[in-house]
Amino acid sequence: MALNTEKFISQVNDLSAQGNLHTEEILVNMGPQHPSTHGVLRLVIQTDGELVAQAFPQVGFLHRCFEKIAESVTYRQVVPYTDRLDYIASMNNALAYVLGVEKLMQIEIFPRAQYIRVIVAELNRIASHLVAFGTYGLDLGAFTPFLYGFRERELILSIFEELSGARLLYHYPRIGGVAKDIDAKIAADIRAFIKTMRRTWPEYNALLTENQIFIKRSANIGVISAENAISYGLTGPCLRASGVAFDIRKAQPYSSYEKFDFNIPTGQGTKGQVCDCWDRYWVRMCEIQESLKIIEQALDSLPEGEIRAKLPAVLKLPAGNVYLPCENPRGELGFFIISDFQPKALRIKMRAPSFCNLSIVNKICRGVLVADVVAIVGSLDIVLGEIDR
Amino acid sequence: MNDFIQSLFGPNGVNVWIAPSSTWLLATILFTGAGIVVFVWVALMSVIGTYAERRVAGYMQGRLGPNRVGWFGVLQPIADGIKLLGKEDLIPAGAAKWLFRLAPILVFCGVLIPYAALPFSPRLVVSDMAVAIYYILAFEALEVVGVLMAGWAPNSKWSLYGGMRLAAQMLSYEIPMGLALVVIVLFAGSLNFQQIVAWQQTPMMGIEDPNILGWGIFRSPACFVAFFIFFIGGLASAKRAPFDLPEAESELVAGYHTEYSGMRFAFFFMAEYGAMYLVSALTAILFLGGWYGPLPLPEGISPASLVELWNTNTAGQESFWSACQAFISAPVVLTTAGAELIGFINLAGKALILFFTMIWIRWTLPRIRIDQVMHLCLKVLLPLSMIAALGAAIQIVIMN
Amino acid sequence: MEQDSLMLYQTYGGANISFWLITLLVLISGGIAALSTNIVRAAFSLFFTLFGLAGYFVLLGSDFIAVTQIIVYVGGILVLLIFGVLLTNKQKQPLESPRSWPLFVFATVCLIALTAVMVYCACVFPSPAINQNYVAINTAYTLGRMLSGSYVIIFELAAVFLLLGLIGAAFLVRRAD
Repeated sequence: MALNTEKFISQVNDLSAQGNLHTEEILVNMGPQHPSTHGVLRLVIQTDGELVAQAFPQVGFLHRCFEKIAESVTYRQVVPYTDRLDYIASMNNALAYVLGVEKLMQIEIFPRAQYIRVIVAELNRIASHLVAFGTYGLDLGAFTPFLYGFRERELILSIFEELSGARLLYHYPRIGGVAKDIDAKIAADIRAFIKTMRRTWPEYNALLTENQIFIKRSANIGVISAENAISYGLTGPCLRASGVAFDIRKAQPYSSYEKFDFNIPTGQGTKGQVCDCWDRYWVRMCEIQESLKIIEQALDSLPEGEIRAKLPAVLKLPAGNVYLPCENPRGELGFFIISDFQPKALRIKMRAPSFCNLSIVNKICRGVLVADVVAIVGSLDIVLGEIDR
Repeated sequence: MNDFIQSLFGPNGVNVWIAPSSTWLLATILFTGAGIVVFVWVALMSVIGTYAERRVAGYMQGRLGPNRVGWFGVLQPIADGIKLLGKEDLIPAGAAKWLFRLAPILVFCGVLIPYAALPFSPRLVVSDMAVAIYYILAFEALEVVGVLMAGWAPNSKWSLYGGMRLAAQMLSYEIPMGLALVVIVLFAGSLNFQQIVAWQQTPMMGIEDPNILGWGIFRSPACFVAFFIFFIGGLASAKRAPFDLPEAESELVAGYHTEYSGMRFAFFFMAEYGAMYLVSALTAILFLGGWYGPLPLPEGISPASLVELWNTNTAGQESFWSACQAFISAPVVLTTAGAELIGFINLAGKALILFFTMIWIRWTLPRIRIDQVMHLCLKVLLPLSMIAALGAAIQIVIMN
Repeated sequence: MEQDSLMLYQTYGGANISFWLITLLVLISGGIAALSTNIVRAAFSLFFTLFGLAGYFVLLGSDFIAVTQIIVYVGGILVLLIFGVLLTNKQKQPLESPRSWPLFVFATVCLIALTAVMVYCACVFPSPAINQNYVAINTAYTLGRMLSGSYVIIFELAAVFLLLGLIGAAFLVRRAD
């Protein structure tokens, strides 16, 4: 049955304005303001008694015209705007953009800069997964893991503050390299963080992962089969939890990821079915461990050299287009850049991972209890900044 | 308190220095005073509860709790109270006004009324009933009706659903709680608190004064299981996490007290902390020995003997003040007062430890979904409590 | 304990005031429950009526029965009633009472007869609050002995009837599958 979302939503709004809603199908409006930090998402849920019949996400409340703005500023000036797309994984966004620009310009990046980019990207991945871990627990009523996760995230943010001067939106990966070098103190801080994170990771498992109540609320809920995942365009931990071992860092390595040795965690259906909420959560927890490995290897083998290529003051990219996908903590992030040899891009289109991840929410929310919708949306780990751009 | 009043004003009552002519009026004043004391205790529990909850939550989460208002933040609950008093009194349009106003009162009364049967120390109890436990269990019903009223009155379908879910949860968990109580009542042979604590003082396995070993939970495996069932049931009926889905903040709607603001909201919260202490104190009395142990309890004398002592000792004194001094200097009086104090410390200490455990559980565990709550009650706790009651009965039959 | 306190209470005259206060509560809330056109208000005022009845039991010295009244009637039957009323209450108009003259005449006659009986009882019997036949016993214990001794067959039969009712209700609401 084809769903006409627009028509349905307008009918809903009409009916509720007239006060004529049929009382057997009840409409629950979740959002746009939430107690949990998923951002400004409006979910219109049509319930049939206790069970959900349909769940329509409505996005656009955070639209800030990124793509249009990117057409009116120069290539270098776009970088701070990319930070603000997925504001939790800022380094990865900027990295995807600058890699695309550098590929179109066909310039080589110094190895030291590449390794530093890998380090900060993985650190930001850990920070992002800690936020996902914390807010998912918060959605289910576990208040304490949120603060434990943020305790470790504070260490990462302090490192980033030393590196870039900011705690959340860094403007650190630049076209041609990175902004500032990692000195001995920062390297020591990173190593101390790795040690702390390895020590506290089992704490998180004891508190949340193995908790029976948590398992009961996550396992066998929101199951996404591998075919559905691929056909809806899911990427990132949501795809890997379905058993599809696809990671862009391994499939199409960029920025010297091919030099590092790490695994790709996939969902095994440990506590329930494959790719239920628990699996998606567990894949993110395992990815934290893998990222720690990558950072350690990168730090140990950090080559000497410069960190920034010398580029002309006015950047004019050769005419053409490029799309370089990167592995964001939430999935495949890519910027499709069309240039026509002007200082400003002709068109920049961003493929947001959370946008595709969110599209599956209607399908997997059918037939669950209303309280489970919160768990499902929490396990998809969406950030409205990149959905709405 | 009844035997206290009777011994005061009965045939062998006080006839030296105090001989009230209108005993009925004095009895009423005394009972009212007792009621005020109990109310102050419940209010104190909510004050301590809000402060302790936030402080303990802070420490468990690796941060400080409130520490700005007053020394170590102890005046924080006062500040909260002042803030709540200053809120606008909003009644939603279309709400049933009188029901809206009545609901918090009913919920609070449902928690306050059982305190009339709850002892604070061996002889300090407002009404030493023969059916005390039964009475406390019964006033759950009052709270349930209050919650339903609170869900209906604001004329909002989310409040209604939250209220009904909460009422269903509270009602369902009464059954395993009651059966767990039946286990203790079977062993103790009475519904009265004095006799239950006396049962926990009886010699056990040859030890004359068993102190901690004589506590309810150690008397029988059925009692041990009943302790956990009762505590979990108590958590559910006090609407505490992990059973607080109907009032959850991060769910879609905030449940039955969404539309309440200001002092009405404060009533619901006072009721919650009062219920927490009630359940903790009940568990302590029934399963953990009440005022008996770990601190040793001196022997006291009954109120009738106290009155006789007063009559004899203070007969020939010059003034009321010297009469009081003569009375207090008798060592038996000091022992009785000491027994009350130590008993109170024992009981309140255990109850507060359980209170802390409830706070601890809230900040550790996630929330259980409502259908899982019902599943837990009807498919796990209910059969378990029935088996425990059956086991208790079998054990009694075997032992006799 | 409780037994002695009742004598205390009755001796000191508090029983009379309590009796009349409870009667006032029962009559007013019963009147609202029976005559109100707002069904939710009727259901909630029935709550006060049943509570008042429990108060009568206390005045008569039956503490166990009073608490059982609260548990069974208020906590069970009334809550069920309120659930039913709240879940199915879609009315926007108040209830209409049937208008029929024979019914009105019959009701008035009954009311006059009832008032006459009450006036007679008030004149003939002493203070209604004092329970002349009060015996200080442990009610819970005595009831238990009687129910499992002399009246055990009736007790078991009542339990079987309740079970039949439970099974019947569960059967009636099962899904058609």
